[in-house]
Amino acid sequence: MAMQTTIETRDLVRIFKHGDEEFRALDKVSIEVPEGVIYGLLGPNGAGKTTLIRILTTLLLPSDGDAYVGGYHVVREANKVRKIINLVSGGERPGYGILTVRENLMYYGQVYGLSWRETKKRIEEINELLHLDEFLDKRLNSISTGMMQKYALARGLLNHPQILFLDEPTLGLDVQNARHIRRVIKHLIEDKEIRTILLTSHYMAEVEELCDIVSIIDRGRIIATGSPDELRRLVKDEIIYNIDVRLSDIDRIRILRRFSSVVGYTVKTRQLTGEARIRMILTGEDIARIIRTLEEENIHVLRVSRDEVSLEDVFLRLVGRGLEDEYE
Amino acid sequence: MSMSSRLSWFINRFLRPAFGRAYVRIKGGNREPSWILWEILLPLIMITSVIWAYENMGAPEFFKGFVIIGGAMMSYWYNVLWGMGRTLYWEKETGNLEVFLLSDAPLPSLLLGMALGGMFNTTLRSIAVIILGVVVFKAEFNVDYLPLAILIFILTLVALYGVGLALSGLHIVYGRMGVRINELLDEPIMFLSGQYYPISTFPMALQYIAGLIPLAIGLDGVRRALLFSEGIDVLWLHLLILFILMIVFYPLGLRILNKIVERGRKDGRLILRWI
Repeated sequence: MAMQTTIETRDLVRIFKHGDEEFRALDKVSIEVPEGVIYGLLGPNGAGKTTLIRILTTLLLPSDGDAYVGGYHVVREANKVRKIINLVSGGERPGYGILTVRENLMYYGQVYGLSWRETKKRIEEINELLHLDEFLDKRLNSISTGMMQKYALARGLLNHPQILFLDEPTLGLDVQNARHIRRVIKHLIEDKEIRTILLTSHYMAEVEELCDIVSIIDRGRIIATGSPDELRRLVKDEIIYNIDVRLSDIDRIRILRRFSSVVGYTVKTRQLTGEARIRMILTGEDIARIIRTLEEENIHVLRVSRDEVSLEDVFLRLVGRGLEDEYE
Repeated sequence: MSMSSRLSWFINRFLRPAFGRAYVRIKGGNREPSWILWEILLPLIMITSVIWAYENMGAPEFFKGFVIIGGAMMSYWYNVLWGMGRTLYWEKETGNLEVFLLSDAPLPSLLLGMALGGMFNTTLRSIAVIILGVVVFKAEFNVDYLPLAILIFILTLVALYGVGLALSGLHIVYGRMGVRINELLDEPIMFLSGQYYPISTFPMALQYIAGLIPLAIGLDGVRRALLFSEGIDVLWLHLLILFILMIVFYPLGLRILNKIVERGRKDGRLILRWI
């Protein structure tokens, strides 16, 4: 049986104007999100992920095109959309610092139209899910980033949304807290607490771990859509290599551009060990010649290993630069 | 929509969020006891100095009552300027407005909550001013006319709430520059409303201008009722003007706010920070 589409955009365009300058944040974006899935939007900073989410959550109007959430038009039926959604943004700290976490949640309960008693009950339910006990009665201005993110998620669940939008939900969190938040997100869908989740992230691992369907977005355009496996198959004819070199040699690796077999590469530096990892997509078994050339250029190769295809490689293959690279 | 579902909507989607926001204001505002110094004790110094000035000049006794009522009611204007107008801007800057707009609650309910929450502390301040006036300076009021004074006062507040709706919208448009709007409206309104003196001392042209300010009409009406024992037979015009100002300012303020919010959703101003 075909799954029902719960979020849909058709040729969505959003242009920001600043004086005479125009910036096209979204350029004819069309997506279809079936009910019951975690749908990921993967793209670098500035790709248009947050703009898309803000249009879908009725906070921003599109310049052109149409968008539907839960079958309702986001412009013409904005209030109906608002009844069935919520949004949690990573790194955001809405709330009142002088009030406790519980008092803040009580306030938002009123905003969502819950009675005082219903809100109290709902906070207890969410507490069981998110384990907020430790800081529920602490002032908001005194809790850690990890606690803040749990609080934000708790706020996002207060109104029993059918569709939850998560904008970079683990931004700025340490590994342990990020893992906990990801576990909760999975749990929300598995237990049917939330019917559909649309999340944006620029963390590959997060998207690969959580999402059933992923759209890769760059410079306001959807580049590819599919399950993580389907997307990985876009790089099935290429080979992925990791080459570890000394950090001090990193300036000279541009030499890799000479090789036509190198589809693309990304570099991640590790300041602590004084090393850098070059992740490279190759179209053929050219690796021996590449290593030899690097060494001829006095680039000290520490380790070479083959690796599985990740979504980062898909992004690199499709866009021509790494997900975490800044725009030139 | 049937009458009962309208009522249910009004209670759940308008009054409940307003109550929630008032709760934030009252709870947060009173959490630190230092608010008593800022909100109550310091404003009393100004009132005291004006009363002493009148005493030394040999002004009539009822001038004390003028100052007391002026000091008590002017706080509500500050509440509209800073508690409604400016606070909405800060709600935007802290991301709270964005979260509010995600719900289907109407924005005026948030502003009503801010106003009501602010009025709580303002009322405490006003009560302190009145106690100071009655106990320390022996100011006299005719309490027989208190119901009429309260009616005039409530109409004034509702009209001011309409002004607050428009102001809060302007703060969204002008962002950080919005503080200048408040400064522009602060001293001139104080001057025209006659905080410490009767507006009948103004030239006629200024009195007409003052007549467009709900606070000026409200202040004058409350003073006439409580200090000069004037009844509804004299003050009907005050009530009528306030009623007209109320039915003009409320829809006008709402319209301006709605237009600005719609524009804000269009150009992104509602969610962009530090502009």
